[in-house]
Order: sequence, then C-alpha cells, then structure tokens
Amino acid sequence: MKHPIRIQNLGGATAMILHRPHPTVQALTRQLQAIGLRVVQAWPELGPEALGADFVFFDADMGHDEQFPWDAGQSPMPMVALIGSEAPGRIEWALRAGAHAQLLKPVGDNGAYSALLIARDAFDAQRALSVEIADLRRRLDERLTVVRAVAALAARGKTEDEAYAQLRQMAMAWRVSFEDAAARVVAGMAGGEDDRRNRG
Amino acid sequence: MTQEAETLFASGPFAFDGVERGGMKRRIELGLIFSRSGSYTLIAEACRSGALSAIAMVNADPALDVSFVPVERDPGGNVDLYAPLCEEILRDTGARHVLGCVTSWSRKEVIPVLEKHGGTLWYTVPYEGFEASDHVVYTHACPNQHLLPLLDWVIPAHGKRAYLTGSNYIWGWEMNRLAREVVVQAGGEVTGERYLPIGSRDVARMIEEIRHSRPDFVLNSLIGPSSYEFLAAYRRLGAEDAHFRADRCPVLSCNLTECELPALGEAAEGLVAAGPYFRGAAGWPGGRFGSSHEAATFAAVRELARLLHGRAEAGITDLLAGAVSVVDPKTHHTELPVLIAQVRGGAFRVIREQAAVAGDPYLTRGRVAAVPNLRVVS
Repeated sequence: MKHPIRIQNLGGATAMILHRPHPTVQALTRQLQAIGLRVVQAWPELGPEALGADFVFFDADMGHDEQFPWDAGQSPMPMVALIGSEAPGRIEWALRAGAHAQLLKPVGDNGAYSALLIARDAFDAQRALSVEIADLRRRLDERLTVVRAVAALAARGKTEDEAYAQLRQMAMAWRVSFEDAAARVVAGMAGGEDDRRNRG
Repeated sequence: MTQEAETLFASGPFAFDGVERGGMKRRIELGLIFSRSGSYTLIAEACRSGALSAIAMVNADPALDVSFVPVERDPGGNVDLYAPLCEEILRDTGARHVLGCVTSWSRKEVIPVLEKHGGTLWYTVPYEGFEASDHVVYTHACPNQHLLPLLDWVIPAHGKRAYLTGSNYIWGWEMNRLAREVVVQAGGEVTGERYLPIGSRDVARMIEEIRHSRPDFVLNSLIGPSSYEFLAAYRRLGAEDAHFRADRCPVLSCNLTECELPALGEAAEGLVAAGPYFRGAAGWPGGRFGSSHEAATFAAVRELARLLHGRAEAGITDLLAGAVSVVDPKTHHTELPVLIAQVRGGAFRVIREQAAVAGDPYLTRGRVAAVPNLRVVS
C-alpha cells in the first residue's frame, strides 16, 4: 500500500445522502452512524450546506446534474453512487457526475465502510493528479519563455549550457520555479534591471 | 424440539413449561455452533461451557419468562461447514438466535445466512473490529478494548520496538496493521513481521528473526498449535538469552485466556494478555468463570434472556428498540472492562485495570489513551 489508510478522522465526519426517503437510506444511515459519521439526508437536491459535507452518497437511478451545487465531476468531496439499475446510461451518468466509488442497492448491513475509504482514496488521488497536471501544463506553456531567457543569457557571452545553469541558479536564489525565473529574465530584458528587482 | 412442541410452548402469557420449577416459561430454541474438534477447540469449548451454564441458570430463574433449549451443531473446525450448519439451525428449527463462531472467517461465512433468515449471531470472542453487522452482537473485545490498551501499557513499560507475528488470516493481519500504525506513530519501529498458516508449527524462522532483531516486545496473534509452539520456543530463547525474558521483552496477546493455559504449561509464564475478564476478577456479572471466553458467552445468553423476557421473539435490532441494554444499538458492540494480566505461577494475575470502555469497532470515536487506569496492581 502506498500510504496507510486514515481511519481516525472518519469519526465525526458528515455524510450527505441524496436519495428519496427509502429503506436504503435507513440501512445506509445505520451503517454510517455505526462507523461514527453524522448523516444528513437530502432530496430532491443538495442545498448549500452540502459544501461542508465530507462525503456525498447520491442516487444514481433518479439523479440528474441540477441536484448538485457544483459542476458535474467537480465535487469538493468524495462521492459515492448508489446504484440500483445497472443500465449503462445510468452508470455513465454516475461517472460523469463524479462518483469515486459505488454501493449497490438494496443496501444491506455492509459495504459503506469500504465505499468511504475507496472514495476518499480515489478523490485524493484525483485531486493530487489534477494539481500535478495543472503544474505540468503551465510549465509546458512556459517553454517558449525558457528558450527566450536562455537565449538572452547566452547573448551575454555564455554557452547555452552555461546560460541554462545560470538560469537554474537564479531560480534557486529567488526561490521561484525555473519557469518563473525565465519569465523574470525575459521581463528584465524588456523592462530593465530595476523592474526585475521590483518583481522579486 | 418438534414443531408441535414449538407451537405449544412458544408464545403467549400462558405458555407453560412444566419441567422448570413450574414457572411460566416459554421454551425458546437457541442455536449453538461451536467446533468441538480442530485447531481452536479449547476456545470453542470454553464458549460452549459459558453458554450451557447460562442456559441452565436462565432455565432455573423463575423471574424470567423464557427457558432456552439448545440446538447444537459442530462444524469440527471446518470453515466451510459454518454457513450450511447455521442455515440448518435457522431453517429447520425455531431458533432465531445463534451463539458461536470463533474465527472471523467463520463469522463472515454465516452473515449472509443470518441476513437471509433474519437470524442473529452472538459472537463472543475477541476480534479485529471493522464490522457492525445488523445481524451480529459482539460481546467480547475489539481493538480499542484489547490491543490499544495493551500497547498503551507496553510502550512506556518496555519500549517501542515491536516484532509482530500472526496466523495467516484476517485476525493477525489486522491486529498487526493496527499495531504497526500505533508503534510508528509513537516514534517506534517494527523489527519484523511474519505469519504462519493456521495449524503450522514452523516457528523457527520467527524465533531467529526475533533473536537477531532484539525487539522490546513481541505481539503474538498466532492461534492454536502455532501459538503453543511459538511460546514454547520463545521460552527456550529466554533461557539462552536474558533479553528475551518476560521482564525485558514480553510476549503480548489479545486472545489468549485461561482456556489455553493447559496446552501451554510453563511456556505461558510471563505472557501478558488483555481482555475484559480474567479468572477471579471481580465485577463481571454472573459470578466466576474459567476465562473471558466463557464469561462473554455467559453474558450473551443472559442478556438475550433479559431482552426476551416479556417480549415476543425477534431479531436483535427489534429487541434493542426501546430497551435498555449493554448492547449499543448503533454498533451492536458492548461496553467492557479492560484488564491487562500476566501469567505468573500458572495463572493470570491482573497488573492493570481500566474503567469500562465502549466498543468502537471502527476506531472513530476518539479515545483517552493510557491515562485512565483506575489502579495499578503489581
């Protein structure tokens, strides 16, 4: 396992169940309370208080995008689909809505605990990947700036390798990313040394 | 018991049982599913004996309107027989409540059968937690009632370097996972972790790893013959090297009770165990018992009789509705005393006693660590 499961902070967490009143809600509520969560049931939609929930369980059978106070797939917490009909269209919708795990209906007296842990792990992994992808994308976008900065430093009589190494040293000295350092060098070329210092 | 007898005696305020002291007792069948042979038979026999003595006591108690008729099945230690035998009890007899199972594996096997027939299992041995079935009542300890208090005791007293052993199934895996988490959080270290198949006596490798890694304590979650062999070998290791004696590097257990001491003899000396009861400890309802396995099973039968008194037979969820019970309606676990005891001179002596703790199977309810011992007996 890449990291230990965090169990302790499930206690006192809030789970919202977006489902019409139904024995499935009762069974799920019992399971979640036994685990130590606070449970709030909601139907037909999640109110603003859902933004403070730690987990959302949602009905995949009768669900639609307008029930959620966020864009599809953008939930700020792990989501678990409650699936009755395994029709492909419904599963597709549940996935687009942002399910991180699922629980099949009728819900009996187990399954919630593993759904919580799997959903949270998938949510954390997805969020970490999104951050990493955004960072990589930004760095990709800055490729041209880096080329310009290296060229500018090389123009002062260095080889390309030396210019590259100098840029890396500048980034370390300024405690900024390589790409930000390149942006400063390029801006400095355009606006003069004073401008570069002010931006530091 | 026949179907006719079931109908005749089962219900109504005038149901009469002429056998037991002429009291107005309904006869209620009660399933017992204990393995009377196989690798954990000593534990099963201790549980069974607690059940039978409680049944005798309930049947002789004129203040209770129920008497129990045991319906017994013996899976003989074969895990694949638990589900069919449990189904046989629930399908072919009037019993709705069943006592039994020792391994978690067998308990998991019978849960689908309980769900199907609306039955309830009273599970009366320590287990690794992370379960709260609607169809099971857990009357022995889970980790916040055994392992965590035991680690709270051992780490300040002996150190934070642990060697972890276990039988190769869920009990050992989960106990050791949790122990590792606690030890690492405390800044300690796991010097080794090794498992044996159930029934295996091949402990030499474990002993060599312990000899070389010199931990501060050993957590033993082996069961049956593996455990007996390991403790005997560890005792020999202690005779060779004083580091491995109980006062320096004790072996800890969360499931070893008096019922297995006869199989261990001298090898048990110095072993430290946690449990809700040890022989002779005060405060357990119903008198004195041979072990916590016996005590927890006795308490289960007694509580069931109390819940059934004056009410129609039903599953545990319905029985708990509106009733005051030691069984927590949310988790179906019970509040239990926490005792830590050491084998000295062939018997467990309590060395630490904590206030009763509610079972917290998912370890989500927070915990006051180590501090609240009422008294330290030593």
